[in-house]
Amino acid sequence: MAHFAKIDENNLVLAVSTLDDKDMLDENGVPQESIGQQYLQTHNNWPAHLWIQTSYNTYNNQHRNGGTPLRGNYAGIGYTYDSTNNIFICPKPYPSWTLDVQTADWISPVGGAPELTEEQLSQNQSGSHLWDYDWNEDTQSWDLKDRFA
Amino acid sequence: MERKILSHIDLYQGYVKMPKDWDIDRHQLSHDILYSQTVKKPLTFSKKFELLNNYFTDYFRVKFNLILNFKNTWGSIYKPNQSSYLCKDINEADLKNSPDYTILYAVKAKKGSCFIRIYYNDNRRKGKFLDINIEDNYFVMFPSSLNYIVSENLSDELNFIQTLTYERI
Repeated sequence: MAHFAKIDENNLVLAVSTLDDKDMLDENGVPQESIGQQYLQTHNNWPAHLWIQTSYNTYNNQHRNGGTPLRGNYAGIGYTYDSTNNIFICPKPYPSWTLDVQTADWISPVGGAPELTEEQLSQNQSGSHLWDYDWNEDTQSWDLKDRFA
Repeated sequence: MERKILSHIDLYQGYVKMPKDWDIDRHQLSHDILYSQTVKKPLTFSKKFELLNNYFTDYFRVKFNLILNFKNTWGSIYKPNQSSYLCKDINEADLKNSPDYTILYAVKAKKGSCFIRIYYNDNRRKGKFLDINIEDNYFVMFPSSLNYIVSENLSDELNFIQTLTYERI
């Protein structure tokens, strides 16, 4: 089963459709994106070039099962197709964050959230607390929060 | 002190912007409306219409998180100097099967030839209304519980307005 994102001319993902593999095979039995696009134009009433194949198993430019990642992320409704870098990206979570093309993800100006300490992890495991970091756009830093508090 | 909003009236309007060379075939749609009125049969569900319907369902979901389920459609033709009667698309006696939203899409309406008048209440201020000019390829969406009229056609040509109703899921 293949997946294709339906995008508009501003590269906004409007929907994601599935396509039976047999509907995108060439005469040699090899799946071709262009054949799938043509099939979708005919049957889903949207121009072929605005159907972009996406991989259900790709997340942050890694394939869950160790395969070859395709276009950064599995496309979702509201995502954008970055045609320059050939990746799907989720909406920008905060104005100050920038796109990391390598991971097809947004990163904060100070990088990822700090690691939780051993004590915090054990408290999370025991269920007495639920420590996590939230990005604070005002202070441009990560705030440690206890979700149970 | 805190504020809670129990209800609101949301209204959407704009042009239907399709991909290049994939414009809504408004000529065909106006032909379909004319045909359905002539033979007194419902509009047939065509690929041309599906394109329009998908446009609304796709964009309302992605832009406003509104998941719309198509319920019904019909076309109206307004001769010069003709206006609509007062319309409301919900059935007060059958609210369960009534739509949530109404879209009026100007299949063919010369600029400046007509407007949609939507009536609403604002607390004790009853009978307020909003006029929205429509023209070719312009749409207005509003709650189906509101009364509205399509104003007199001031042009010397026929105006074609397609109504689409949707249920919100």
